[in-house]
Amino acid sequence: MDHRTRRLKKKKKRIDRPVVFFDFSLLFIILFLLAFGLIMVYSTSAYMAGIKFGQVDYYFRKQLISTSLGVCGMLIASRIDYHYYWKFSGIMYVMAAMLCIAVAIPGIGKDINGSRRWLQFGPLGFQPSEIAKLVALIVVAGVVCNMPKSINRFSNVIRTMLIVFPLFGMVAYTNLSNAIIIMAITVCIIFVASKKYAQFFVTAGILGGLGIAFIFLESYRATRIDAWLHPETAEKGYQTLQGLYAIGSGGLFGKGLGQSVQKLGYVPEAQNDMIFSIICEELGLFGAICVISLFILMLWRFAVIANNARDLYGSLLVVGAMGHIAVQVVLNIAVVTNSIPNTGISLPFISYGGTSVLFLLAEMGIVLNVSRGIRIEEEYEST
Amino acid sequence: MKTYQRRKLMVVLFGCVIFLIFLLFRLGYLMVLGSGYYEKKAQTLHERERYIKAPRGKIYDRNGILLADNQTVCTVSVIHNQVEQPQRVAKMLAKELQLPFTEVKKRVNKVTAIEKIKANVSKATGDRILAYGLAGVKVDEDRKRFYPHGKLASKVLGFAGGENQGILGLEVQYEKQLKGKDGCILTLTDARGMELENAPKRRIAPIPGKNLYTTLDYTIQYYCQQAAEKICKEKKAKHVSILVMNPQNGEILAMVDVPEYNLNRPFSKHLSMKQLNERWRNGCIHDTYEPGSIFKIITSCAGLEAGVVTVSDRFFCPGFKVVEDRRIHCHKVKGHGALDFTGGLMNSCNPVFIEVGLRLGVEKYFRYFEQFGLYGKTGIDLPGEAKTIMHDKKNVGPVELATISFGQSFQITPIKLATSVSSLLNGGTMVTPHIGRYIVTESGKKIRKNYPAGKRIVSRRTSRIMRKLLRKVVAEGTGNKAEVEGYSVGGKTATSQTLPRSAHKYISSFLGFEPAKHPTVLALITIKEPKGIYYGGTIAAPVIRNIFENILPYLHNR
Repeated sequence: MDHRTRRLKKKKKRIDRPVVFFDFSLLFIILFLLAFGLIMVYSTSAYMAGIKFGQVDYYFRKQLISTSLGVCGMLIASRIDYHYYWKFSGIMYVMAAMLCIAVAIPGIGKDINGSRRWLQFGPLGFQPSEIAKLVALIVVAGVVCNMPKSINRFSNVIRTMLIVFPLFGMVAYTNLSNAIIIMAITVCIIFVASKKYAQFFVTAGILGGLGIAFIFLESYRATRIDAWLHPETAEKGYQTLQGLYAIGSGGLFGKGLGQSVQKLGYVPEAQNDMIFSIICEELGLFGAICVISLFILMLWRFAVIANNARDLYGSLLVVGAMGHIAVQVVLNIAVVTNSIPNTGISLPFISYGGTSVLFLLAEMGIVLNVSRGIRIEEEYEST
Repeated sequence: MKTYQRRKLMVVLFGCVIFLIFLLFRLGYLMVLGSGYYEKKAQTLHERERYIKAPRGKIYDRNGILLADNQTVCTVSVIHNQVEQPQRVAKMLAKELQLPFTEVKKRVNKVTAIEKIKANVSKATGDRILAYGLAGVKVDEDRKRFYPHGKLASKVLGFAGGENQGILGLEVQYEKQLKGKDGCILTLTDARGMELENAPKRRIAPIPGKNLYTTLDYTIQYYCQQAAEKICKEKKAKHVSILVMNPQNGEILAMVDVPEYNLNRPFSKHLSMKQLNERWRNGCIHDTYEPGSIFKIITSCAGLEAGVVTVSDRFFCPGFKVVEDRRIHCHKVKGHGALDFTGGLMNSCNPVFIEVGLRLGVEKYFRYFEQFGLYGKTGIDLPGEAKTIMHDKKNVGPVELATISFGQSFQITPIKLATSVSSLLNGGTMVTPHIGRYIVTESGKKIRKNYPAGKRIVSRRTSRIMRKLLRKVVAEGTGNKAEVEGYSVGGKTATSQTLPRSAHKYISSFLGFEPAKHPTVLALITIKEPKGIYYGGTIAAPVIRNIFENILPYLHNR
């Protein structure tokens, strides 16, 4: 067999067998972000953990365990056919709702930092609202996909919203930020599935107006607005101001990894929501651009997968995940840079948080599973 | 996916990217344009300053003898949670600091962050304590003002407080030059204020104060102080002030105001603030008094300069003079009889000077008063100088004029009197009395102090006649007890009664200068409220003689 025939044979083989694709680029981005996140969690938390617990790796170890579990979960999920979830979506919805109710009951839910968001099972604690996000994604994508009549009809949009609303309400009771993300996932999926534009922009305008009115009317939120507009003088502006100090002192290339001073207790709980400010302080504008670029790259991979998914359900799952990541990244960085008032949203893959990373990785597993069966049009066209 | 769904997917992606790019610009704004602002803010938040005291400038006399120095003292403290052997630490500290063991032990075992055991410990003791190398014992060095000569020139030098700030005298006057600039060590701290171990420290070195070289002469000051103390004790006087200056340029060689106080211990627990102020007062510049007969020098100069009297003019003293309805007595009740102007000055005859004053008249008299610089302050470089207290010109009638002409009914500071007389005797040009000569910076640069001088206030002729007359006062007149063999001393005595007159308290004083032809040294002594004999010629003149006998050879040899 000469060289030419061997190549032909190979081509033939490829056409015969079902296309086995796996988005390694996305996997690589995820793993890179996770590794980077672990390094940053260690960097930001080591000093204060040493003071509080006497162990510099206290947060790092916990995060390493949940990340490892999460990666296993992701790899398993990437092998489970995503259509499977739809069959259990009803049960999942009910269970998520029950957990969300449970956490709101005093005595069952656990208070940490003044918010009752945790459920404790022995040594393990987790946030049901993180599960709710994943469940909402599966349910909404399924509902929209299985609408007897097209989602183009506004009544069907309302119907979908009504299905999500109970979960949204229950999550909102304890964790408004995650409720907003559930809403964003839902709207994102419906928007992409629907043919219409106008109704979304009108609704968005109305909701936006209502939201602003709501914020300004309620005094608790008004103090947050004050902290946003005048971080240097407002009483509640401390965290925001410390974040700005961290970002500002970073400059172009930062102080160098591990060299942040703001993480030494100035930025409270620096490994959580404000971690991006410490990234800016240590790695500078250069580091910040790298992180944001990675997220853009990730969103682009999502778009590619959604575009080429085998069916609409797969596409919409990926669209939801894309909306999820995008909203979290945008809101987190906007808060850290004091572009919007403070909300408690973490930076996906990087911020400290066991439940968050666990379910985020499960979601990535689903996305990877969708990518497994995609048709790469270009390849077909070339052959 | 349908085509329109793909398009909408692109819309979503595009929207997200737009948002992220907006945030990137926001970051760029914060981290590039806002960087300086936030970094500075953050830095001030992170850094803790520990001050390093700048050493205060030293004060020297005219020959380079140190008058005010700095001393290193230590503060010994223990840091409770660093102490490993409390028993040993307590034992060692009790021994080295000579404190009772039980008390030290109590302090060492006290649960506080840092406990001060003793302040103002000498450096030698501090070093010895450090040499033990016991954990938790801290010795902080600090600089404290130290006056090597104790009470010498205390009223002139003044003293500096615990924060190294000048409080009185030259220490206040030259505060800006002496103070220097504190440095600091900047260390990074975490949010709890704990210093970071490996963080780089920024050190801003302190700038030491500049050294002040004065016109004072340690030897003369010391001698005058002893002389003043001696007479003060002998006559049980309240205060004795002695001023020694160079009438040619206004340099103060000595300024004594007994009782002086120890500059290293200016405060005392037993004294109230009022009493402390009394203790710190410098009689030479802060207090005014009626100058008495020494003021006849001024009246003489005015009369001679105006031409209303000559040295050979004849007068007659019956022991008093009637002015309007008042009979003003001479100190010699029987009267001096017939005498010329020279005799009037030699015998300090009041009626002669009343006559001269009346001849001058209020208008002319006050013009000379102004011309001789008797109003206001001398401008000496010491804080708190008192002004002359003089009658308002329009209220001066013949009686007031008569009393002014022999130095009563108004008040003047000793420094003002000495300065005015200096200006009249040095050839007739104004001088400004001063103590600061020059300032030397750390780099060795000399900054000379300049004082206004040279303004003519009386003619050379009058000045010369005045010197001759005053020489005669010492050679043949009331000042004969100030005569020093081999030198030509001139001078004038004075005895003035303090207010109220009914108390019968006196101030005896004497002003002497040498050599009569070209005076280079002028001394003024005032003895306040002496017991027993109070005549200036009897008790004040001999003190000046004693001082001159000792300092003239010293001054002429130099």
